[in-house]
Amino acid sequence: MKRLKIDFNQCCGCRRCEVACSLHHFENSVNPKKSRIRIYEEEDMFYPVVAGPFNNAECTSKNIFMLGGKEVDECIICRASCPIKPWFKEPDTDVLLKCDFCGDPPEPACVKWCPCQAITLIDEEGKIEVKIEDVKKDFEREED
Amino acid sequence: MNGWVGKILRVNLTQGSTKVEELPAELNHLFLGGRGLASKLLFDEVNPQVEPLSPENKLIFMTGPLTGTGAIGGASYVVVTKSPLTGSIACSTTEGYFGPELKFAGYDGIILEGKSPEPVYLSIEDDTVELLSASHLWGKSTHKTEEIIRAEKENPWIARETFITSIGPAGENLVKIASIINDKHRAAARSGVGAVMGSKNLKAIAVRGTKAVSLANGKMFLDSVERAWEKFKTTPVIPQALNNIGTSFLVDLINESGVLPARNFQTGVMKNIEKISGEHMAETILKINKGCFSCPIACIQVTEVEDPAFLGKGEGPEYRSIALIGASCGIDNINAIAKINYLCDEMGIDALSYGSAIACAMELTEKKIISKKETGVNLKFGNAEAVVELVEKVVKREGFGEILAEGGYQLAAKYNHPEYFMGVKKQGSPAFDPRGIQGLGLEYATSNSGVSHALGYLVTHKILGIRGEIDPLTTEGKAPLVKLFQDGSAVFDSAGLCRLLLLGIWIDEVIPMLEAATGISYTEEGLQNIGERIWNLERLFNVKAGFSSTDDTIPQRMLKEPMPEGPAKGQVCKLDEMLPEYYNIRGWTHKGIPTEDKLKSLELT
Repeated sequence: MKRLKIDFNQCCGCRRCEVACSLHHFENSVNPKKSRIRIYEEEDMFYPVVAGPFNNAECTSKNIFMLGGKEVDECIICRASCPIKPWFKEPDTDVLLKCDFCGDPPEPACVKWCPCQAITLIDEEGKIEVKIEDVKKDFEREED
Repeated sequence: MNGWVGKILRVNLTQGSTKVEELPAELNHLFLGGRGLASKLLFDEVNPQVEPLSPENKLIFMTGPLTGTGAIGGASYVVVTKSPLTGSIACSTTEGYFGPELKFAGYDGIILEGKSPEPVYLSIEDDTVELLSASHLWGKSTHKTEEIIRAEKENPWIARETFITSIGPAGENLVKIASIINDKHRAAARSGVGAVMGSKNLKAIAVRGTKAVSLANGKMFLDSVERAWEKFKTTPVIPQALNNIGTSFLVDLINESGVLPARNFQTGVMKNIEKISGEHMAETILKINKGCFSCPIACIQVTEVEDPAFLGKGEGPEYRSIALIGASCGIDNINAIAKINYLCDEMGIDALSYGSAIACAMELTEKKIISKKETGVNLKFGNAEAVVELVEKVVKREGFGEILAEGGYQLAAKYNHPEYFMGVKKQGSPAFDPRGIQGLGLEYATSNSGVSHALGYLVTHKILGIRGEIDPLTTEGKAPLVKLFQDGSAVFDSAGLCRLLLLGIWIDEVIPMLEAATGISYTEEGLQNIGERIWNLERLFNVKAGFSSTDDTIPQRMLKEPMPEGPAKGQVCKLDEMLPEYYNIRGWTHKGIPTEDKLKSLELT
C-alpha cells in the first residue's frame, strides 16, 4: 500500500507542494488556500500537513507531541479541519478538501515537486494491507 | 488577466482613503511589472526634485507577473521611491512570503501617498483594506511588530497565514539607511526606503489573501518551471552550495580572487578567512535551511548563536553581510557578524550600509581624523563589541549614532575626507572590489539607484565562470557586457524573480515560464528591450533630479590606489577607458543623458 511519509526535519518551508497541489486540482490557478497540503511554521520548524477527513466537533483531548526534540501542539499537525481550525476548506465556497493522492502516477504532485524530500511516497505492502481472504476467514470463524 | 492580477491598491495616507485601480495592460506590455512598472508609476506621478521625506514623495510596492506563481525564485517584490540616502530613484528588492500573499489578496502592488497624521498600519484581507492605529507598535522592533499584529487577529489560524512587512525604530526615526523588513529577516534594505515609510507614519503592512493567481496554461507552466530548475541545477557547485550554506559559499571564493572588501577596501584579501567562511558558519551556528515562497533553491540559513557575548537567533549572515560587516570592519568572528546582522534586521537598518559606514568610521579612526572623543567607543578595526553597541545609537540617533544615521558618505564628508567613503551616489558599495573585476567598476559607476549588492551580479561572469570565461583584468568588451547584464537584471526584477537565479539561468529560461503564466509571447530581444526601457526611464528620473555624468564614478581608492596584495595586486579600475564606450552603446550623449532618438525608439516620449 502506498502512503505519504512526511519528514518534518527535511521541510524547508518553501510551500512548493501547495502550489503543485493547487495547480493539479484547479488546472490554471495557483491558490495555496485551496491546497490539500499546507505548511505551517512554528519556531523555525515547518510542518507539512496533508488534508484528512473533516471533523465536525472540536477535540476534547489535545496532546503535546515531541517532534525532533521540540514540543508541538497536536492541533498544528492534525490532518482534520474542524470548527476551530479552518484549514482544508475552500475559502469562497466552504467546500471541504481532502487529499486524493493526485498527480502523475505513481507520485502525487506534492511528492514530485518537493525539492527537499520532506514528502516521499513509501510502499508498505505486506505490513498494512489486509487481504480480503483473511477477512472472509475471520468472518466465517465468527459465524461458527 | 493571467500572471498579473490586474489591480493596484492606492492608499492616500493623508486622507486615510484607499481605492483599487485597474492596471492598464499597455503598461505591462511596456514595463512587464515589478521594478519596471513601479519606476514608470513613480516617474509619472512624482516630481524627481521632490524632497524624499516629504508627503509628496510616494512609496510603491510592486510584484511581477511571476511572483506567487510557483516559478523558481518567484517570491520577489520591489520597493520603489525617491531615496533619501542618494537622492536618486531607489529600487530595493526582497523575497519571502509577503509578495506572493499580496497577489493572493488580489493586488499586483500598492502605491502609498501622502502622510498619515498618526502612526498607522495597513491591514489587507482580500477586499477588506483598513488603516489601523499603530501607536502601540511605534518604537517596536520588526519582529515584535509582526508578533503583535498576529496576536491581535481573532483567529490564530488566520494569524498564521498573515504575512507582514514593517519598519523598525530606525525607519521611524528617519535613519537614512533604514530598511523595510518582511517575514522577519527578508529586507528591502537599500537606499533608505525604510525612512520614506517612516516619514509617512506607516509602521507596517499586513496581508492575507485567499484568492488565486491565474495562469494561462498550468501544465505548460509546471513543465517550464521544471526545465528552468533542471537548468539551474546543471550549474557546477552553486545549487548545492546555495542549499547547504547560502550565498556565504562566496566568502572563500571571493577572497581567493582577491576582491574581498577587506578593511574598508584597503586590501582585497583577509587573513583568518576560515573563521568567517560559509563552511565555518555551517559547522557552528547553522540550524536549518529555509526557502522563500515556492523556491526550491532554499538558500536561507536559519542560525542561532549560543556564545553569551553575542547571544541571538535569526537568519544569515549571507555573503554580503559577512563581507561588509566582517571583512570590511576587520571582524573575524562569525558569532559577532551574525549578531550584528540579527540586530540590523530587528531594528530595520540596512546591514550593508551600516557595515559600510562603520568601516569608514574605523578608517577615519585609524588615520587619526576622528577619535574616541567623537565616536564614544573604540572604533579600531576588528572591535566587534563597539559595532554591536553602535546599532542602538544609530537607531535612536544618539551621540555618534546621529552622524552614522545619515550614512557613510555624510560621515566622511563631515570630517572633510569623502575619499574614505567607499560607495557610489552616497550609497555604500557592494561587497566586491572592482579593482580586480574591471567591468564591475563600470556597473557600479552607472547604477541608477547608487550601487547596490543586487547590482553586483556581474561577478558571476568573472569569478564563477558562468556563461563563459572572461578576463576580469581587461576593460575590452566590458561596456556591452555591462549593458547586457543591467538590462537583463532589470527584466528579472520586473518579472518578480529573485536575482540569485542569475547565478544559474538567463532570460531564455525565463521566457517559457513567462509565456505559460501570462499567455503572451516574448522573445529574448523583446525582453532585453524592456530592460533597456526601464534602465533609460530610471536614468531620466535621475537626470531630472539633478544627476549628471560627474556622479557616474567610483571611489578614488578604486581608481587610483593600486591593490596592495593578493591576486589583483597592482590593479586599479580603469573606468575612463570604459565609460565613453558605455554612453555610446547606450545611445546617450557624452554627458550621459539619453538622446531624443533613443527615448523615441524605446517609446519613452
